[in-house]
Amino acid sequence: MSEFALITLLAGALGLIAIGIAGTLLSRNLYRILLALSVAESGGNLLLVLVGFRRDAIAPIVEPGRALLTMVDPIPQAMVLTSIVIGVGVQALALAMAIRARNSYGTLDMDVMQARMENDIVGAAGAMPATSQEKPAGGRPLPPPLADDGEPPRLAFKELKS
Amino acid sequence: MIALVPALPLLVAFLLPLMPALPRRLAGPLTLLAIAGIGVKLVGTTFAQPVVLAVGDYAPPLGITFYADAVSGVFVLAVALVTLLLWPWTAARGAEENLVRKQTLTLIVAAACGGLAVSGDLFNVYVFYELAAVACYGLAAGIRTAAAQVATFRFVVVGSVGSLLTLIGITLIYFRAGTVNMAHLAELAPQTLHDPLGLTAFLLILLGVGVKAELFLVNTWAPEVYATAEARVSALLAGLVSKLALLVLVRLLILVFPLPEARQIVLVLGMLGILSGEFAAFRARDMRRMLAWSSIGQLGAAFVAFAIPGPAGPMAGLAIALHHLVVKPTLFLLAERWGGSLDQLAGAARRSPIGAALFVLFALSLLGVPPLPGFWAKYLLLTALAAQPAGIWWLAGFVVLLTTAVEATYLFRFIGALYRRAGPADAQTGYAVAGGGVFAATLIAAALAAPLLAAPFGRMASQMADTAAYVARVLPAPAQSGVAP
Repeated sequence: MSEFALITLLAGALGLIAIGIAGTLLSRNLYRILLALSVAESGGNLLLVLVGFRRDAIAPIVEPGRALLTMVDPIPQAMVLTSIVIGVGVQALALAMAIRARNSYGTLDMDVMQARMENDIVGAAGAMPATSQEKPAGGRPLPPPLADDGEPPRLAFKELKS
Repeated sequence: MIALVPALPLLVAFLLPLMPALPRRLAGPLTLLAIAGIGVKLVGTTFAQPVVLAVGDYAPPLGITFYADAVSGVFVLAVALVTLLLWPWTAARGAEENLVRKQTLTLIVAAACGGLAVSGDLFNVYVFYELAAVACYGLAAGIRTAAAQVATFRFVVVGSVGSLLTLIGITLIYFRAGTVNMAHLAELAPQTLHDPLGLTAFLLILLGVGVKAELFLVNTWAPEVYATAEARVSALLAGLVSKLALLVLVRLLILVFPLPEARQIVLVLGMLGILSGEFAAFRARDMRRMLAWSSIGQLGAAFVAFAIPGPAGPMAGLAIALHHLVVKPTLFLLAERWGGSLDQLAGAARRSPIGAALFVLFALSLLGVPPLPGFWAKYLLLTALAAQPAGIWWLAGFVVLLTTAVEATYLFRFIGALYRRAGPADAQTGYAVAGGGVFAATLIAAALAAPLLAAPFGRMASQMADTAAYVARVLPAPAQSGVAP
């Protein structure tokens, strides 16, 4: 493999990691977050394989009756197998979580989900949602004012859930 | 024997779903008792000399190495006992199938935590860390409320990004040093890793493993998960798993990166953790999130302590970490019934006086009121910080003192609410009171034995801080320096 190809691969690995992490942080859609995570993990795995690369080397398999040639470093290859397996498992788990979350809240938008989760947590605790004292421009969407009988406020989004 | 610490619970965990009813009930607790026995034995032997095991007789730095010093022994014991106290004994009606899953996952958490305590190489640390992480995701999602699912999803995403950063960090370290064995790394670090690339690797691992240790910047999941998950799961995560992640980072800091720059990074992140955690806890109006934020603050204090060079730092850090390990689980157990808002706590002390008394005891210890162990932990931290040259270390001391005042304010707000007369509060569960009682007994015993504990603590800390002894124990013959090209 030429110098150029090696540098391209290295840049590719770092680029995949950067794209993936940026996507994870910036996406709002749950499925896109997962895809971005998968891209970032591929980048990490590629980087790991590249670390063990040797010029003009063969795959690290020792066969009887064959001359021992220079091999690529087998340790990163063993590590990358582990990391791929772990990655697949975690992605499947995250996908299952995403499906469950989608079924309960009826949306894949992370911002909406987070707002509803906050509401649910506060509602379950029976506390007032955290709000600022100043009224934001364009009115305050959350939460509705305290009822006259002193009950905790009816929570926004509750009606959407049913 | 050390190999059993992760191996035995793992084996039992995967056999558990196949067992008939009666053995299944006993298998988990008995396994944990066995691990506790191993922990006791390890504590007994490792104070004199650390134990090293080369799996499959491949001499280090090749192969897999397990290393147990006194700190590992204490943590193995703590893993077994805390998991046993937080064991899911019974399930809600109609959820018996779920119970087996929860028990399996809890055993896997115990196995992975034990593995983290005794691992002697970075890649095993990564594998055990992932194992603990995945089992924690499963436990956090154990409640089928919508909020818990979303919180767990966000936890999984943060955790996976953290794992990726850890893996990249380990890759960089392997690229530079050509080994992942901790002792070998400690030996090679001065030539290969004490440069900007090495520090980058440390920072990546710090942020990655820091996810579970509730390090500042990557702890956003904690308040959400602790507020939605079962009380026992929150107690396990905040009490146990965070400490093991902390232990891994501390070993890396002491053995491989004993650099002023690395210490400063840990110190600053720890300080930010204390400030953000304690002030957010001050704003919290419900008990669960108050506890979640306060545990972020406490772990920040532990990070600050471990950043201090010399044996004084690990000593203070160990005191804070072990104290928090005893205190937080009980508070989370009590929050199972009292997790609601401040207003709903009125009258709680009348319904269950023992529960309220436990809360007061642990809150006072958390604050650092003199006879209780929390006082010694904070005292060690402040004296260690004051012994450092003025500047950022003294600033850290000031931050600790300032946040203690903040802590007092919000904890007494909750204590006040507990002792308000007549109100709607629920009575405490018997299990929470019993479990809390065990932890309280530990705490009081530690308070009474404080003068006796100083010597073993100092021994543990100096053993942990002694890099040369670690290397000499794992690599008796000078290892051939196999630096990768």
